[in-house]
Amino acid sequence: MSNLNGKVLKHGTQTRTMHWVHLLAFTILGLTGIAFYWDINLISNIFGGPANASVVHRWAGVVFTVGPALYILLNFDRFSKFMSTIATFSKDDFGWLACMGGYLPFIKADHVPPQDKYNAGQKMLGWMIIFGCILIILTGFPMWLWRHEVPAVFLNLCYNIHFWTAIIMILLVGGHFFLAAIHPKSRVEFSSMMLDGYIDADISAHHNAKWFAELKETP
Amino acid sequence: MKFFTESEGITRRQFFIGAGMLTVTAVISGVFAKFGLDVFAASDNYIEQRVAGLYTLDESMALRKSHENPEILQIYKDFLSPGEIQFVSPKAHHLLHTKYGSDIPAFIEELKHPHVEAEHEEAQVEPAA
Repeated sequence: MSNLNGKVLKHGTQTRTMHWVHLLAFTILGLTGIAFYWDINLISNIFGGPANASVVHRWAGVVFTVGPALYILLNFDRFSKFMSTIATFSKDDFGWLACMGGYLPFIKADHVPPQDKYNAGQKMLGWMIIFGCILIILTGFPMWLWRHEVPAVFLNLCYNIHFWTAIIMILLVGGHFFLAAIHPKSRVEFSSMMLDGYIDADISAHHNAKWFAELKETP
Repeated sequence: MKFFTESEGITRRQFFIGAGMLTVTAVISGVFAKFGLDVFAASDNYIEQRVAGLYTLDESMALRKSHENPEILQIYKDFLSPGEIQFVSPKAHHLLHTKYGSDIPAFIEELKHPHVEAEHEEAQVEPAA
């Protein structure tokens, strides 16, 4: 790792705010969803019982939907940059995936290819989170607002898609949390999203070399 | 210490990718909504046809009302309200009224022992007399 004396602003204030809002909403949604799907009173009692947990789940769902929607409307440039980054898969990204970035102990990684602002794993996670959110939101609202109007077969389809997408998302977010906050190689990025948005330049130069090269050229 | 930040603004490519993603989201939402509306319409259509079928079947029946069924009237005359036709007579109410849950075992016992049923009937008739 180089010894660059500098800081990189990786995530702006609005991005971090949206991430916090989405994180809190997702945690509440996950807990309440698990509570009333498996009838676990220990969890639902935290929210004032099963009936209240259900109400909390619905309104947390509104926050879960409106939060990113507002962010996109107010920060379309940042959203576009993010989408552009995760939509770009180059030879380096496939090289990263081949050795899983050196994060897995049983896959030998002699050379990890240079990465963009997000590495190939984060890009894939980004796509899965986006489509997971779309599915969860699209199936969630009919289950709440039109459950008496829509046919049972459609409602049942919504319940199944909602449930299985939520399970996959919870597992994905669990893995995301492990890599972002616990894994010694990657937790150095934790504060850039959860606190002040900055990360040490030498860490960025090492983990996101392609992106950092662009930053160095920025006047 | 030097601070590095991203450049302001977006390229045309980034704009189209961002707008494209919003369009894809809108299309997915539209397809899902269309699917939901189609299922709703198909379900509604099925219910309408089923209702029409039931009414058609009903209209073709010779006997359309249970209280005009001669066999039912005869059962009332012979058994449920002997000598007359009295709907919801105490005996009819007692025997035909649906039992639920914990009432069922006692009712089965009662039917197994007709004298209990007779006593019950007398007990019900007495206040009226």
